[in-house]
Formats: sequence, structure tokens, C-alpha cells
Amino acid sequence: MSDPASPARRTRPRGGANGPLSTLFPIDSTVESSFGERAVPPSDAMSRWMGWRLRLLVVAALLGCLGLFLLAREMASQPRVDASWRATAENRIELARATDPALGPLVGQQLLAVQADGRLLELRDALTLRPSARWVIGDEQRREHRRLHEELGKALSEPAVQFVFAGGRSAFVQTAPRGFVGLGIAYWLLCALALVLYLVGMVVLMAKPNGRNLLYATLTSLQAGNLVCIAIETTADLALPWPFVATNLSLRAGFDLFSAAAIVHAAALHPRRLPGAPAIAATAWLVAAAITALVSFESLPHGWWWVQGGVLVYGLSMVAMMGWAYRIEPHPFATVLRRFGLVTLATWMLLTASLAAAVAHPGVHQNIASVGSTVWYVFFASLLMLVPFLSRSQQILREFSMLAAVSTVATSLDLLFVAVFSLGPFASLTLALFLSLAVYSGARQWVLNQLLGNSMLTTERMFEQLYRIAREVEAHPERSPVLLSELLRDLFEPMEVTVVQRRVSATRVSSDGSTLIVPVPALGAESAPTQGSIVLRFARRGRRLFNFEDARLTARVVEQLRRAVAFDRAVEQGRSEERARIAQDLHDDIGARLLTLMYKAQSPEMEEYVRHTLQDLKTLTRGLAAANHRLSHAAAEWKADLTQRLTAAHVALDWSFDSDADVLLTVVQWSALTRVLRELVSNAIAHSRATRVEVSLALRKDRFELHVHDNGEGRNPRAWAHGLGLGGVRKRVKQLGGEVEWRELSPRGIGCRVIIREFSSRT
Amino acid sequence: MAVKVLILEDNPVARSFLCRVVRESFSDAIAITEAGDLESARRQIGPLVAGREPLDPFKLILVDLELPDGNGMELLAELSKYPATKIVTTLYSDDDHLFPALQCGADGYLLKEDRFEVLVEELQKIVRGQPPLSPAIARRLLTHFRQGGDSGPMPLNSGFQSSRPVPSGRGAPLDHERLTPRESEVLTYLSKGFTIKEIANLMGIKWFTVNDHIKSIYKKLNVSSRAEAAVLASKQGLV
Repeated sequence: MSDPASPARRTRPRGGANGPLSTLFPIDSTVESSFGERAVPPSDAMSRWMGWRLRLLVVAALLGCLGLFLLAREMASQPRVDASWRATAENRIELARATDPALGPLVGQQLLAVQADGRLLELRDALTLRPSARWVIGDEQRREHRRLHEELGKALSEPAVQFVFAGGRSAFVQTAPRGFVGLGIAYWLLCALALVLYLVGMVVLMAKPNGRNLLYATLTSLQAGNLVCIAIETTADLALPWPFVATNLSLRAGFDLFSAAAIVHAAALHPRRLPGAPAIAATAWLVAAAITALVSFESLPHGWWWVQGGVLVYGLSMVAMMGWAYRIEPHPFATVLRRFGLVTLATWMLLTASLAAAVAHPGVHQNIASVGSTVWYVFFASLLMLVPFLSRSQQILREFSMLAAVSTVATSLDLLFVAVFSLGPFASLTLALFLSLAVYSGARQWVLNQLLGNSMLTTERMFEQLYRIAREVEAHPERSPVLLSELLRDLFEPMEVTVVQRRVSATRVSSDGSTLIVPVPALGAESAPTQGSIVLRFARRGRRLFNFEDARLTARVVEQLRRAVAFDRAVEQGRSEERARIAQDLHDDIGARLLTLMYKAQSPEMEEYVRHTLQDLKTLTRGLAAANHRLSHAAAEWKADLTQRLTAAHVALDWSFDSDADVLLTVVQWSALTRVLRELVSNAIAHSRATRVEVSLALRKDRFELHVHDNGEGRNPRAWAHGLGLGGVRKRVKQLGGEVEWRELSPRGIGCRVIIREFSSRT
Repeated sequence: MAVKVLILEDNPVARSFLCRVVRESFSDAIAITEAGDLESARRQIGPLVAGREPLDPFKLILVDLELPDGNGMELLAELSKYPATKIVTTLYSDDDHLFPALQCGADGYLLKEDRFEVLVEELQKIVRGQPPLSPAIARRLLTHFRQGGDSGPMPLNSGFQSSRPVPSGRGAPLDHERLTPRESEVLTYLSKGFTIKEIANLMGIKWFTVNDHIKSIYKKLNVSSRAEAAVLASKQGLV
């Protein structure tokens, strides 16, 4: 901004609005161009990517891919027995499916123990089927789970394993490497999602390397790690591949807690830096590290509850901090993040509650632990990816996150039904599906509006406004920035609207969607220079973010306004051209004939009559051709005209004119007053033999008054015949919404008074 | 020797009416030449040679603006150096039509619908050097001189849209194209509808001094318009 004193600069909050989490967006000035500002036709952002950032990004992407590839190779080379197991109602393990011919006949049998390398491992319940210790609630159970997984993992990596089934049957099975195909679709999908999440974090970081974006990148990387862990867990049959068993719990708990700490840290910095941000951040990280360490070493009683509770507390503090930040400065980003936070927390609590509730039903619990938690993490990952693009508001991402939220709810409901009401799996699934579909279709719009505050001026009101403003701009082109601001104010209800001198090339969103910058179009005459830009800040009283579609909508509204103005102008020009042509024709043709008629008149009366007609014609045509007459100009011409005519008739004129506002007369007012005045003075000349005529015009407080007094010999105006042209005077005064009266003056003469109240509102 | 007068008017009735006005206005012997279109008017005037006084010129020329073969202003422009009093006779009293005519060198104007006696009086005044100046034209003149000769579009109160573009776009006006403060004052009063007598009272000067100012304004308008035309012509490579 060139002018440091401009209002936009004054009202700008101190540095708070810089792009943090979202990050693609910087903040130096409301108008300053930077990477994050998106012009309506997206600018060539790629060019700014060239150089070291692009190279670093490529390196990061390659590292990510390489890591996933190495992991997959390691996973694929792990030996396994190709069979799947399930828990029975009695909490025992049952063979569900097997390809090995030795196991084939044993499908449906209970597994009692596994023997390998001379060691026998008894399986008393189905605990080992839980893929991750992260979701085993009891401390004892978790330790047992870990022991089982370690030993089973080791046993299953032997070349041959003996499975002992109930009823004394057993089978020797050779283990074989899993192979890439054996990893399963779920594994690859989750890994792909993890890679995308990681890359989004890197892109944001490379776009503008700073502390906040580093936090975002950390957060996405942690969640990517979580997703990879879940991917590994999907491959577990009886136990996790043994190299992953030891680290699984620490990794999962750590990822969760550190993610939560990163969120709290970010919330302390964005959308504005909170007082004591470093202390808050340090506390968050330290507590997360402590809980993770204690849980990893199993030295914290009720470790699972500590982790779940810790994440919940972090989430609640993030929501609270957003509320705090919003009170300091009503940045809509805070509101949106708070809503996201609440939704995420609610689902987290639902997940925790259903896990805790299902603890007595190992089968159900296992379902929730694997399916429910996976869905929650996918949902959270999609929300994370959405955050930097909030103001772009990609429809697809929005819908996707909605769907993810709904499926989380559906799954949790499903599992809850099974756990609490002991419904059959199929019945509960169907019920949950129907319920959540109903909720989705019914609440979709409402939720969308709540999440992004999408309420808009109704279409009719907007059109009405548009055309009203078009007409006003037509009359006062210099007011177009003000009028346009008004329209946009009604459209978005921003907290601040300022007009700045600086011009932007296109409508754009900046500063994380808190600001919309609209160039003022050239609405006036074609040659009129455009006048700067309008800066809107904090839509919907600070409860809503501007997004890409708002920018497009605004651009379209402005374009429509421009067209409406141009159209009005073209219509008006066409009308005035047409009127001018009619006037010219009337004047040339009829005027010339009347002139001839006047020269050939047989008597002075006839000549005078035709002269009057000719003058009326001239008044008429002039009124047709000209749009408006300024009162002072009209008065000057009336005076000159009357002077000339009265002088020729040897009558003195006493003229006074007085107005407190030099209004524009409409054509109707001008021509009616011209003719009234002419008629009244003609009467004084022709019928009263006056020697002096007094005319006074006054416009005071919108009250127009005209007096014409003569000192002639006229008397008793009530008895006058209407042939004196007085009917015409009455008619025209009435047309102007006024009243006229005549009275006798003493000692002699007639006075006529015309009064028009509310002069400017008459047309 | 009779005073030579040329009346250019296409309507025969109007022409004979104007003849009566001219004869009534002057006591001298009058020789009136009538013309119905530009072509015959040019024939009557004869060839115009720059730098040489025409032999036995017309002393008074009345020109109608709307003629069958063109506009009277064309003739006025051609006659800018011709030593005659040139008067526009027209039905149009609005400044949009009259102002360009005055710029082309007319010394005054008569409105054809005025009564015989009025016309006689007005004609005598013009010949004596007391040309009329209506408020609208005074306003137009003020704008013209204020803008340094650029009488751009007159908004709002103008009459018919003038189809004649007025040359414009010059730099700072020269001295002879600028109004003196007194002249500006006179014009301002005229634009407000004051009569010459009233202006003389208001300014504390004699009425014929006011009249001198008006004549001087007319002259400056002609000069500045001619200079404009010259500048324009040289720009277009005509001179």
C-alpha cells in the first residue's frame, strides 16, 4: 500500500493474521501480493516454485516414496501362514479360511496352541487377534497381548509351524514370504493416503518455510506415520510381523499425543499469537513426551486412559484457545478451526466411549478397534489436508470430509448398537447405515453452512440491489465505490469495508480467507479512471472465511453490475437520441410552416396566436431534447425572455429570484413553469394594460413560490372567462402538484400566486 | 449610392418579410439582393481573393442557418474576412445552434418568430454595435473562455444536440483570446439574466461601456475561433 495512512492499513491487526497452519498464506499487508493470495484466474504459482524449494520438495517426495517402498519390501519378505482367523463367541480363536491343504480341512476348528522350534505357545483367548496393543484397554491384558505377539511373531517366522486344534487335531504348515500381493488392498490404500498427507505437509512447508508451516508439516508427518502403522496392522493374521511388535504401542501413542501437542502449539500461534504461546507449546510437548514414554514402558497405570484422556484434553484446549483468539481478534479462521476441532473431538470421544463400553464383548471390541479407529484416522487425515485449502473451499474436499465424518459416526453407531443393544451385526449395520444416511441428507446443508458459514443474501434481494445500484451509479458515477461497497456489505456482512487507492488486477482472497479484495470497476463514463479497490475483512461478522467461490461470485456480481450500468446507459442514450430526432423534425417541419403561417396572418390577433403556438412548439421541442435544466439557468433565461417581451410592450419588469438550492428541473417542471410564466405575463400585457409587472420566484426549503403582480386594470378574477389561457395555467400547476390563485390587489391590479410544496419530489 | 444588402433565406415568405424589416430599419437607400440557397449567395458575393478588398461589397448580410444546399455557417466561415455586418436569422434560439454561428463570425442574430417592430429594433441595435447576448449564450461563452477556447460539451441545459464539433484541444490561451476581468464580470451578469442597464448599475459604469465589453467579447470569440480553425487546419496539413 502506498499510503501509510490509508484506512485499510490503520485497521489491520498487528501481524496476527499470518498464515500458519494454513500457511499457504502470508500476511504482510491486506493487499500485498504473495503466494497465498489467489487471484480469480489462478496466477502462475508454479513459476515461484522454481529453485531450491522445488528441489527440496522433490527430494522429500522421493524420500517418502523410497521409505514406503522399503517398508513394503520388508513386509513382503516376512514369512507367514496364509490363513485368516476369527474370534468365536466364546472368545476363542477359530480358523476362518486357509489355502494351505494341510489346514483346509480344519476350517471352523478352534485353535488351542501354536508350536514352533520346539516351543509350545498356548492361546487361551482371542486376545492376540487384536492387531494393535494401542487399543487394548487393561494394563494386564496389554502386557499379555504384547507377550503373545512377540512370541507368536517369532514362532510364525520359523520355516514351519504346527497348529494345535481342539479335539486333538493338528497341522504342520510351511511358512512362506508374504509377497507384495499378499499385503492386501487396505495396506496399499492406507499407505497411499499417508504419502499424500505427508506430501501436502511438505508442499505447504516448501511454499513458505516458516515455523508455523513446519508445525503443520510435523503434524501431517505424524499422522502419516499413524496411517502407515494402521496399514501394517491390517496385515496381521495371528500377530503383527515380529519386527514391528516392539515399537507398535510407543509409535501409536506417540503419534497421537505428539499430533495433539502440535495442534495445541499451532493453535497458540494461529490465527494469532496468544499470550504465553512458548510456555503453552513447551508444556504441550513435554507432557506428550512424558505420557508417551511412561506408556511405552508400561509404567503408567491405566495407560490407555492416559493416552485417550491426554488427546482429549489437548483437543479441548485447542478449542478453548481458538475461542480465546477469536475474542482477541475475530478472525473467521479461528471459528472454522474451532468447529473442526469440536467435530473431531466429538468423534474421538465417541470412539473412546464405544471402545470402553465394548470391553466386555471381545469380538465387538476388536471390530471397533480395527474398523472404528481406522475410520477416525482417515477422517482426521482428510480434515488435516483440508485445512490449508479452506478458503479455496474445494467442493470435493468438503464433501469428502463430510462423508468421512458421517461414516465415522455410522461405524461408531453400528458398533455401539452391537455392544449396547446386542443387535446382530447385520441388523446393526443396516440400522446405522440408514440412520447416518438420513442424518447426512438432512443435515448436510446445515452442517456445511455451520462449518463454513455459507448463508447468502437471497437471490431476489441481490438482483433488486444490483439494479437499484446500477441506476444510482448511472446518476452518480463518482459514488460507485461507495455503492459497490454497500452491495458487498449486504452480500458478505464483513466487519470492515475500506476503499484503498491501490488497484488489484482481479478479485482475490488473501490472508487465510479473512480478506477479500475487489477492484472497483469503471462503472461511470467509459473514460473515467477506475478508483482503487475495496477491501472486505472478516465475512459474516468474523464468523466465516472468504473462499475462492466468493471471489468468483463477487467478480460475477461486479460484471453484472457493469453490464446493467452499460445497458441502462445505452437505453438512455437511445431514448435521448430518439427524442432529439423527434424534436428536430418537429422543429424543422412544423416550425417552418408555422412561421410561414405567421407571416401570412390576416390579423394581428391571428399573428399573435400563431407566434404563441410557435413558442410553445419551441418550448416543447427544447424540453424533448434536453434532459434537465438547472433552476438558476432556467430563471436567467425566463428573465431575459420576459424582459425582452415586456420591453417591446413598454411594460417595466420587476424581477426577483431567490433560491436556497440550485435544483435540477425535470423536463416536465421546466416546460410547465416556462409556459405558466409566459402565459401569466402575456395576460398582463394583453388584457390589463399594465405598465409594470412584478415577478418573483422563490425556492425555500423545497417550497416553490411564484408571484406575478401587475398594476393593470383587471378586476374580479373569479369572473374571468377561461379563454384567457388561465385554464392552461391551472392545468400545468396541477400537473406539478401545486396550487394557483388570483386575487385583486389594492389599489389596482391582479396578483397571481403559484405554490408548489415538496418541489423536488414532484416530477 | 445605395447600401448593398444580401438576404439569404430559402422561404420566400420569410424572405420578403425580412426585406421589409431591413427597409424599415434604415433611412438610407437600400439595394437588396435576395438569394434562396448557398450557391446563388456565393455567386452574388463573387470570388473572394485573399488580401484584396472586394469591389462594391455588401454592407449587411442576413444568413439563414437551414438552407436547402447546406448550412449558413459554411458561408459565414468563408466570409470571415469579408467587410460586412453578418447576421444570423434563425428559428432556433438555443445556444447549441447559435453559439457555433457566432464562432463562425456572425455579428449578431435575429429570431425569426419575433414581431416586426422587435426585429427592426434588434437589427438596428446590431448594426449600431449592440448585439444581443442571451443568458444561455453568455454561459456558453464563459465556459468557452474559461477552458481556453475549448467549448466542450455543454451539459444539462443545452438545447438540441449540436452535430457540429467545435475545434478544441489547444494549450494555454493567448492574450487576445482571454477575457479581461470586466468582460468576465459582464458575461457572468448576462448569464444570470441581467439586462444591460442593470449591469451598468451593478458595475457602476455607463450602459454603452457594457455594450463595448459585449462587442469586445464577440470579437474575441471570432478571433479565437479563427485561430482555432487555423491551428486545426495546419494540424491537418491544409495550410
